[in-house]
Amino acid sequence: MRIAFLLAVLAGGTYYTYVAFADLNFLTRTGRLGPGFFPRSIGVMIVLLTIWALSDALRQGRGDQADAGRWRDVVMLMALAVCYAVTLRVFGGFLATVIYLAVTLAVLNRGRPVQNALLSVIVPVVIYLLFDRVLNASMPPGLVDILPI
Amino acid sequence: MDVFGDLLMGLSIAITPINMLYLLIGAIVGMVVGVIPGFGPSAGLAILLPVTFGMDPTGAIMMLAAIYYGAMYGGTITSILLNTPGESATVASTFDGYPLAKKGRAGPALVMQAVASFVGGTVGVILITILAPMFSQVSRSFGPPEYFLLAMMGMLTLVVMIGTNWKLGLISALIGFALGTVGVDLETGQGRYTFGSAELIGGIYFIPVAIGLFGLGELFYSFYVGMHRSGSGGIVQYDKEASFWPSAEDFLTTRMTMVRGSILGFVVGVIPGAGATIASLMAYSTERSVSKAPEKFGTGEMAGLVAPETANNAASSGAMIPLLTLGIPGSASTAVLLAAFMLWGLRPGPLFMEQNPELAWGLIASMYLGNMILLVISIFAIPLFVQIIKVPYRILGPIVVVICTLGTFSVHASFIETYLMFAAGIIGFFMRLYGFSPAALVLALVLGPLAEEALRQTLTISRGSGMIFLERQASLWIIGVTIVLVIVLPLMSRYGRSSGTAEKAGT
Repeated sequence: MRIAFLLAVLAGGTYYTYVAFADLNFLTRTGRLGPGFFPRSIGVMIVLLTIWALSDALRQGRGDQADAGRWRDVVMLMALAVCYAVTLRVFGGFLATVIYLAVTLAVLNRGRPVQNALLSVIVPVVIYLLFDRVLNASMPPGLVDILPI
Repeated sequence: MDVFGDLLMGLSIAITPINMLYLLIGAIVGMVVGVIPGFGPSAGLAILLPVTFGMDPTGAIMMLAAIYYGAMYGGTITSILLNTPGESATVASTFDGYPLAKKGRAGPALVMQAVASFVGGTVGVILITILAPMFSQVSRSFGPPEYFLLAMMGMLTLVVMIGTNWKLGLISALIGFALGTVGVDLETGQGRYTFGSAELIGGIYFIPVAIGLFGLGELFYSFYVGMHRSGSGGIVQYDKEASFWPSAEDFLTTRMTMVRGSILGFVVGVIPGAGATIASLMAYSTERSVSKAPEKFGTGEMAGLVAPETANNAASSGAMIPLLTLGIPGSASTAVLLAAFMLWGLRPGPLFMEQNPELAWGLIASMYLGNMILLVISIFAIPLFVQIIKVPYRILGPIVVVICTLGTFSVHASFIETYLMFAAGIIGFFMRLYGFSPAALVLALVLGPLAEEALRQTLTISRGSGMIFLERQASLWIIGVTIVLVIVLPLMSRYGRSSGTAEKAGT
């Protein structure tokens, strides 16, 4: 996974450098440093250093074998967070938060349905009151407005 | 106006009921952030920054600063009671803090850490009061070459302090610089990496990236290491001890430790990139080397707790100097603070204190009051923070996700920025997992545009010659100091860490 992540950084760095050389000028027409000067320098350094780090990682071999249990929990939390981002757009801030907390707590905090139900309602209400009423900051609106808030 | 008059003016601003309320909220939130293992001041500041948007700028900055230095107080409670540092700057406090608690002296240790934090923080603010105007005067002679070099100094010191993973730290910083180039080039008006998107014309916004990397990224990492599975059963029961209060001997034997820790911590804090973690480790190793009984360190020696505590609090005050007088953040936390200043249309730098005396001196005065509030809270509200430690991570985690999400959305009511925050969170987790430095990325994202602008201006002034950096006296000084720091700081840090490891091994 470490090597895969470094390869992803290398791919991103290479694309960044390609755009810097292809689309951005090193100098302006008046001979001053242009918009490509900094990106080209940074891009080349990212590519070179990532290749170096990658060769180090390859030499060290596959030393990052983690147990599946660790990954299962973190991947689940990430997946639930991404689902929350999607439901946020559909149902709006309040309802999406209630749904997200209800599902996530049901998965992570098993065997405590009353505590989970209370938290799933109380936390969004407190956050709604804090953001929308006290701080006058907007909560995400939903495409489907089920609740009047 | 003289410094004393400026400070009185600042006090009159800070002491209004509403600002005192903000200060109290900031102090409590800072302590809570410090108490939660895995979350440092950077995460706390980034997550709570959007909450301050509806507030008056002076109150908002005071509250954010209180969160920043308040985290140093809170982080030690878990170091003493749970042997788990609340954040990296309180790692050194576990060396003697936890052994003290195990010896049945948790109460005195908690009180002494609060007193030491107060002394370190207050000495730090006194030094800010004296030195900040002087730094402002000196930095007025700085031009683009010096600003470029200062930005590089901050990045270089941060990267070399990362240690064996310096390559990954440097890649992280370069990614931050790369992200900083997205948007319209201010000099030519040409779009860079915008791919025709209107959302990217203004560049990649700092807040979603910082909240994602520090908030979600740290949370995902905490789940990865299994913090949601571990309970809080290992908390030392301090309330069953014979005496909660420290003895007169505790104060007498550590009075010089507090002086040394405060001064050392402040000096290290002023250096961009060094920070409170290094300050606390260095103070610990210094105290051990001057002690008449170094063999007692690691077994529950009060000086071993007091030294890092005074140092990390003094360092967090010291870090405000380059921020206020140069506009150069030396750490991820002060980078978030700089972003907060910028959100309010304020640009810290040499003229900041002269042009915004109410805010600058109000902030400095609020730090005196904030440290007093924190002293009281961290002694008398310990039971409250112990209850917070007991909240399981499996409940805290989803709530943090919600606060990060809704906080990010509230900044510009933008779903794109909210999705960017989620992406930064996932990338931040992998960065943390594989030894990259999210702090270097965030610092570079803030310093990148500043460094690029300064470099381009410098080379325009010099007609493309890099010799300008060697022709100006101020530039030469900065280059000299940078070289010394790059060589000396890793050696000192290694010494501090090895002393700490030796103590750990000895216990």
